[in-house]
Amino acid sequence: MKRRGRGIACMWYPIGFTVSANPSAAVVMVTEDGTATLLTGTVETGQGALTVLGQIAAEALGVATDDVHVVSGDTDATPMDTGAIASRTTYVTGNAVRLAAHEALSILFDTAADMLGVRPEQLEARDRKIQVKDFAQRSLPIGEVAQRSQVVLGRPAVGAASYNPPTVPMDAQTGQGKPFNTYVYATQIAEVEVDDETGEVEILRVVAAHDCGTPINPMLVEGQVQGGIAMGIGFALQEEILFDDAGRQINPNLTNYIMPTSLDMPEVQVDIVDSYDPTGPFGAKGVGEPTLVPTAAAILNAIHDAVGVRITALPATAERVLAAIKAKRTGASARLSAVSADTIAP
Amino acid sequence: MSEITLVVNGEQRALSVAAETTLLELLRAQCNLTGAKLGCDVGDCGACTVIVDGEAVNACLMLAVQADGRNVVTIEGLAGRARLHPLQEAFEACGSLQCGFCGPGMILSAKALLDAAPDPSAAEIRDALAGNLCRCTGYTKLIEAVQAAGETIRAAATGPRRAAGQE
Repeated sequence: MKRRGRGIACMWYPIGFTVSANPSAAVVMVTEDGTATLLTGTVETGQGALTVLGQIAAEALGVATDDVHVVSGDTDATPMDTGAIASRTTYVTGNAVRLAAHEALSILFDTAADMLGVRPEQLEARDRKIQVKDFAQRSLPIGEVAQRSQVVLGRPAVGAASYNPPTVPMDAQTGQGKPFNTYVYATQIAEVEVDDETGEVEILRVVAAHDCGTPINPMLVEGQVQGGIAMGIGFALQEEILFDDAGRQINPNLTNYIMPTSLDMPEVQVDIVDSYDPTGPFGAKGVGEPTLVPTAAAILNAIHDAVGVRITALPATAERVLAAIKAKRTGASARLSAVSADTIAP
Repeated sequence: MSEITLVVNGEQRALSVAAETTLLELLRAQCNLTGAKLGCDVGDCGACTVIVDGEAVNACLMLAVQADGRNVVTIEGLAGRARLHPLQEAFEACGSLQCGFCGPGMILSAKALLDAAPDPSAAEIRDALAGNLCRCTGYTKLIEAVQAAGETIRAAATGPRRAAGQE
């Protein structure tokens, strides 16, 4: 008989890593045509990091994302970056990009202040213009300001900055400290159907609520969460590296190492929690690795809710789940037999 | 060596191939069409998917000589000069791909489905994509894009004016 259950799991996860320094650096250059170039050492692996970093630079400079040309991942041309690891790129590299953009902008504000007859702190960058705050009629195209900075004043609008999240070392005696500068939080709920005659588990639905700070690009956040849940489902039910007695992997191929296909994916509902982290670029934190942290736990809790067994070794294959169901039945009937002389049907 | 002729992306090709050459090797090495990817090379991952006579096949499992006299479509054959194929547009608009390695095979499996059934259910889409593994996306936005592309293609079939309005 198929039995339905629901399980919930919550997690927190640190953004960036600790113990050693964790810096990123970036260069932002604004050119006379009003476009900008961003140099970053981080790499795009499909998560959308360069889109997000381009958006951060564009937002800081008041230009469109398409106006920002991103040059990345080439140590010949870009400053160092600690790497596309530890769910740190949006937060750490993003902060470096924001700070570098502000450096370039401060040069443009100095130049524009003279041109507009105001103080630099009265200016803002918006709609591809440098304009007086609350008085948008007094404005100059950002490219014109960049041109004057470079050609007349000899101060090209180039900003370079780095960011290293502030941390406090852990005290060896008390265990107290501040190992990370910020954390993200998430809750996932899984709904499953367990066949109590075969042990087979089908995941019907996963609902995932993630606090990633303010999402710079909600569509990319959704993609990260959906992808993480797929990996979490593989971790929970399917994926296992098997070794023989000599330590050789016996399933080093996709025929026997089973990962989720489109048929294994349930309906996934992603909820991005409304949040703002004042230490992040425009309130953002991160979302990469945390997406699969609670998935397996939520699924195992749902299996428990459905058939009352605790699975403590992953993956929860049909064999393991069925063995746990049988052990539970045997244990229950043994207890009942001890109470009554009557034979209890299993 | 065997002499074969086949149509690749609408162009007639005459090629000389060794008996053990796979269709994938032929496309990548001799036709310079590297969109079909060499993933597992044993038909598990679907990264090499191309369309042969209207059916999605793993090009790593088909010998080049078996493609003699047949019509092959690769990812390079989808976009026209003026615009991308509706599937490619939908994949872009939906943010369906992340690393993109599965993309060419995924799109061709989807095209074979839409060519045969322009209004597929979500279950039919999942079934059509089941042979294409993706490690990044969780498949959700891939399925959404195939649905969106199906709508665009159906709208174009019912009238060019409506199709233009959907772009």
